[in-house]
Amino acid sequence: MATEAKIKLVAIVDDDELMRGALQGLLKAVGLPAQAFASAEDFLKSGLQHKTACLIADIRMPGMSGLELQAKLNSERCSIPTIFITAHGDAKMRMQALRAGATEFLTKPFDDEILLENVRAALES
Amino acid sequence: MGLAHLFLYFHLPQPFAAFALSAIAITFWYGGTKPGIVATVLASIIRYTQWAEASSAVSRALYDLVFVIFALLMMGVNRARGELEVSVAQRTADLTRANEELNLEIAERKRAEEKLRQSEAYLAEAQRLTHTGSWVWEVDGRDVLHLSDEWYRIYGFDPAEGMPAWEKRLQRIHPDDQAKWQTAIERAINEHSEYEVEFRLLLPGGVVRHLYTVGHPVEDGSGKLVRFVGSSTDVTERKQAEEALRQAQADLARISRVTTMGELTASLAHEVNQPIGAAVTDANTCLRWLNREHPDLEEARQAASRVVKDATRAAEVINRTRLLFKKGTPQSELVDMNEVVREMLALTVGDMSRRSIAVRLELAEDLPQITGDHVQLQQVLMNLMVNGIDAMKDSDGTRELAIHSQRADDHQVKVTISDTGMGLPPRHEDKIFHAFFTTKPNGTGMGLRISRSIIEAHGGRLWASDNSPRGACFHLTLPIRADSRE
Repeated sequence: MATEAKIKLVAIVDDDELMRGALQGLLKAVGLPAQAFASAEDFLKSGLQHKTACLIADIRMPGMSGLELQAKLNSERCSIPTIFITAHGDAKMRMQALRAGATEFLTKPFDDEILLENVRAALES
Repeated sequence: MGLAHLFLYFHLPQPFAAFALSAIAITFWYGGTKPGIVATVLASIIRYTQWAEASSAVSRALYDLVFVIFALLMMGVNRARGELEVSVAQRTADLTRANEELNLEIAERKRAEEKLRQSEAYLAEAQRLTHTGSWVWEVDGRDVLHLSDEWYRIYGFDPAEGMPAWEKRLQRIHPDDQAKWQTAIERAINEHSEYEVEFRLLLPGGVVRHLYTVGHPVEDGSGKLVRFVGSSTDVTERKQAEEALRQAQADLARISRVTTMGELTASLAHEVNQPIGAAVTDANTCLRWLNREHPDLEEARQAASRVVKDATRAAEVINRTRLLFKKGTPQSELVDMNEVVREMLALTVGDMSRRSIAVRLELAEDLPQITGDHVQLQQVLMNLMVNGIDAMKDSDGTRELAIHSQRADDHQVKVTISDTGMGLPPRHEDKIFHAFFTTKPNGTGMGLRISRSIIEAHGGRLWASDNSPRGACFHLTLPIRADSRE
């Protein structure tokens, strides 16, 4: 019963409206349920983090950054497989994200196939 | 004859009488009054001793009387002569004094003339040094009354050929400026007013000179305008220097703009990458809807329209950026400062959001337009905003960039940009506007300097003050163009 109640939701956290729309559209095209948030704070407030099977987050955002969100979720024992998308990722940031448990670190513009593979993998885990 | 008869009548010897009277007269004339009296007494004694018996007592008494009267007469003559001599001496003294005064006056005049010649020489020298020629011309007939040497040199006329006629002078003025020059003078004549006009000369041989002329009207006692007195200054060198300076400033401003943009490259890359990334994803999504066994055209259409939106935004960012790099001469156009604020905000807002800087906009809705160079004003705004953002880099607590626009007094528009950063360096509030003064490790120290020169070139002011409770405010004012004030 408990596992069935957990909807396999994909959460998108990005402050850029165009990017949110694009990611939502892509997931809709492949038939995955997605919910988009404009900030990490909005996502945390929604309470949906416990029903989220995969998180797609921007790194640099006003307020809480993507990495801070990941750390916060980890500290709340609510680790979610996370795919980071950033406009300009450097090696150091990438290492930091992957060490903290990120499944993938993509730089815009990214290959949608790689993104979807990672999302599917996260949902199946 | 009468006197001889008288002497004969009294039986006096005529030769003696003549001699005695002559002697008395001569003694009086040359010896003076006292010797004259002695001579008279002596004559009486001689007459008495020589001719005492030959005459009667009556004639002797008369004889003495004649001597006495004669002596008195001579005394009178002597006194009159003395007075005459005194008055002659006085007259002579007066004349001498007058002569001395005249001599002094002549010397004075010579000195004054020398001084005048010297001051004329100094004036000519000053005219030569300042390239300023002086002139006077009559309103009636436009006849010239005076033209200085420097005027001849500037206009390229030979003083030996005499004063050139009005028509000849007019011919030296650049054809494009003749109308402007004549209009200025006609108006001054009609209004009896001063005039100043800047125009060019086109000399034989094609040399162009820039002139600045000031004229002053002179009226006669009845208020009739009789002539104009004035000067013409050759400002060609100044004009060229100004032009070179303007060019240098424009180049420097552009370099600074490029530097500022360099500092923003990361932000701009993000700004462009963002919509391009979205466009790629949206395009892929669109293909996915189309590539299905049963293509979903409605979903594909939605994805495609998102691609259009994404690409449009990428293009907008690039257009704004290109404008900032553009090299061009300063333009004079109508500029809405609110629009400039929004444009520059669009370029920096991404950078600010990543640095967790909040933006507060308080833009007056009825802000009048000003006249100026859109790109230059963008640069100033950009500079001030980037400065504000940089100042908050290491600041804890509130990070807020506030931009406020309003219509200020005295027909001005005022824009204030406030940050909550480290604030102005204490005691260096105005030094920040000096060239090469910088608090940034990689700063050029030119940003604020150039911003201020741009604002001042627009007739406005740029200054800084402390923000409360912390940070800095930059204020700029710009004059509203004359015909949009009301």
